[in-house]
Amino acid sequence: MNVQLTRVATLLALAVGAATATAQDKITALRGARILPGGAPAIDNGVLLIAQGRIQAVGGASTPIPEGTVVIDVTGKTITPGLIDANWRFGTGSLDRNEQGDEVTPHLRVLDTLDPADRQFERTRAAGVTTVHVMAGTQNVIGGLGAVLKTAGQDVDAMVLGSETSLRVTMGSEPSMGNRAIRGGSVESIYYRRPTTRMGVVWEVRKAFYDAKEAMNQTLNDPQQQDPGLQVLMRVLKKELAVVTTARSEQDIRTALRLAAEFGYTTVIDEAQEAHYVIDELAAAKVWVLVGAPSADRVTGGGGGDGAEPRFSTLTKLAAANVPFVITTGTNQAALDLVREAMFAVRNGIDPQLALDSITVRPAQLLGLGDRIGSLAAGKDADFVVWTADPFDPTAVAAQVWCNGLTVSESR
Amino acid sequence: MNARSILTAAFGAALCTIAAAQDVLAVKAGKILTVSGPTIENGVVLMHNGRITKVAKAADVEIPWDAKVVDASDKTVMPTWVLAHTQGGIRGANENLQNVPYVSIADAVDPAATWFEDCLRNGVGTVHAIPGNQTLLGGSGMILRPYGRTVEDMAVVTSSGVKLSLQAQGGGRLQQIRRLRKAIEDVQEYLADFDRRKKAFEEEKKAGAIPADKEWTEEHDRLKKPVIDLLAKKTRGWLYVPGAAEVDEALRLSQQFDLVMVFGPGIHKAIPEIAKLKAAVVIDDALEFYETDDETQQERKICPAKQLADAGVPFALSLATNGPGAYPWWQMATCVRNGIDRRAAIEALTLVPARILGIEKDFGSLTEGKLGNLQILTGDPLAATTWVDSVILEGQVVYERSKDPRLQYLFSKEPAKAAAPATPGEGK
Repeated sequence: MNVQLTRVATLLALAVGAATATAQDKITALRGARILPGGAPAIDNGVLLIAQGRIQAVGGASTPIPEGTVVIDVTGKTITPGLIDANWRFGTGSLDRNEQGDEVTPHLRVLDTLDPADRQFERTRAAGVTTVHVMAGTQNVIGGLGAVLKTAGQDVDAMVLGSETSLRVTMGSEPSMGNRAIRGGSVESIYYRRPTTRMGVVWEVRKAFYDAKEAMNQTLNDPQQQDPGLQVLMRVLKKELAVVTTARSEQDIRTALRLAAEFGYTTVIDEAQEAHYVIDELAAAKVWVLVGAPSADRVTGGGGGDGAEPRFSTLTKLAAANVPFVITTGTNQAALDLVREAMFAVRNGIDPQLALDSITVRPAQLLGLGDRIGSLAAGKDADFVVWTADPFDPTAVAAQVWCNGLTVSESR
Repeated sequence: MNARSILTAAFGAALCTIAAAQDVLAVKAGKILTVSGPTIENGVVLMHNGRITKVAKAADVEIPWDAKVVDASDKTVMPTWVLAHTQGGIRGANENLQNVPYVSIADAVDPAATWFEDCLRNGVGTVHAIPGNQTLLGGSGMILRPYGRTVEDMAVVTSSGVKLSLQAQGGGRLQQIRRLRKAIEDVQEYLADFDRRKKAFEEEKKAGAIPADKEWTEEHDRLKKPVIDLLAKKTRGWLYVPGAAEVDEALRLSQQFDLVMVFGPGIHKAIPEIAKLKAAVVIDDALEFYETDDETQQERKICPAKQLADAGVPFALSLATNGPGAYPWWQMATCVRNGIDRRAAIEALTLVPARILGIEKDFGSLTEGKLGNLQILTGDPLAATTWVDSVILEGQVVYERSKDPRLQYLFSKEPAKAAAPATPGEGK
């Protein structure tokens, strides 16, 4: 995470808020709700005090409310931190996020494809998600640089919390899908692409990092040092940038861990549907695991991508082995709202507090933003959701969604 | 063409029951959601030979000494769900030929399909299986219990009516309407011709041209029989109406036939017309979706079920074949989330479908005299954390979660390790 970049983003965020500064300047108190602060026990009949887009205080009924405060009565409701989707299912524009020009495109930035007016932002906000991590598509071996941004705003620059947060690498058959080995066709054909196998995919990763290693040993004015893609990979090798490896099946997860160990970079395992087979290895490697769309797992088969067999027990096993996991909507187009995905995790035996942490505190920590978002505490961004019932009650609706101290979505 | 379908049709419409394994079964329940009446805390459901003989507070029920007792005193007991319209568990629900009213779903039901297994796992006790919507006149359906090794074992009602569909099949919407009218007119013409010939026969017989002892032996063409019955209102039609645009034609057809409307998702623009039917309807499994305004490009969430509820139209819910919509609790919770009354949501999978199917005398609620079809739940039926603990069909325990091998596999039952971690580990 680029710390300086975050600061710049914060300033921009405040500047954009200027138009509605009056609303943000006022001290606002939400009173009477059950507060689930994230990473801490619930507070019944709590008080949440916000001003200037930040949280001033969180506490019980006795929390002092200054004079002149706008008090909103939310008795009977539940407040959680604004949710964070660490692998945002982005419905539209997926073509925009899979560059066909090359298989290895580490320097491409997903941020450049994002349109704040896209309805997906509106829907995501309405579902209580205030921050998302968007990554390059999964059709390239090394896809590009992921970004973190708030879901509310008109200007991407003002929404962004991290423009180059992660580098996406994809294992398995997806990057080779549609590629064709030459068989009579023209070499100039767009279908004449590599890789065409799992072996080829892994080799593309190896080759890229070998090149980066070599480039690191070159002198600064060597043209190889100037290659933008290699520069990104060098940052990965220097552990300045983390890789997110999408690896669904057991085989792919093992490969992802092997590659990270081989080149000594930090990786997060994404869409780890068969993590239940490799719990010990994941624990030993001390990696974070992203699990997408638990709702898609079915008793009678289905839900598994790339030949993976999801299990209901995956998250409980990860929890028992102390492997830090985050619940996301992920690459499954049929994924439900993030809160519902966490609800399915609760259905499958995860403690509700842990499930909530997996979509708030934990992703904030993973994205290096734990000091700003992910929990309700004094000094943090005033991003929170007022739910009509417990968030894991399937009948619950996000009645109000607040982002940077402003209401960005409201329902009945 | 299809000898077996004709055979199954001969079973008749009488209710087929399974022999109850236990003469007397008593279920002690922490809470009984009767659906038809008030909720009973700490109650007992008593069943004799597969039928409910008593539903009351435990203090008011004397459990016979020879009864088999199921102790669910820490659980919730309620009727099993009834599905008014499904193609689940069917192999080849859509015949390629468009005009095939003479086929029967009986020949397509796969008793070994995991879908039926999933039914019990989700508390579904009665399903109406009928040919799919990709048809014109698509054959007859049957009401099944998702339990048994053969179609005969599973049969509750062997012939439930004929499928009709307004879903455009490779042509336009109007073409489909025209084809359906034509198919019906063809049968009407055949009938008129049949009657004309029969009348001529009688007249010739009267005139002496035909010997007096000769009788008219010709019967109605078997391939046309289902539509003839439909025209005579001897059998019901199940009309699939894909969207609002077809509702007017559906209303016209409903004047002519005894029809049950099975709606696709996009019916929200025809709610007042649907209300004119004054009948309960079956709705699509996609309960909420977004619609974009052509002018403003603003997006709106649509829940047709809520609009039907507001217009006073009772509806039966459908289940999806995959995704969360396959869970009854999710479908009902989606209704409640969209502002529908909780009671209406529960009735949409119990009493309303039972009424639509004409089996409310025996199904849909825990009422004395009805069949002993009930599910034992670990909690509230609309909660995400609730699981179906066991299912009893006609007084017989047919599903127990503790003995569900597939569920155990998915949960990889193993001795649990220490409690959940307090803090996430080091990764970055």
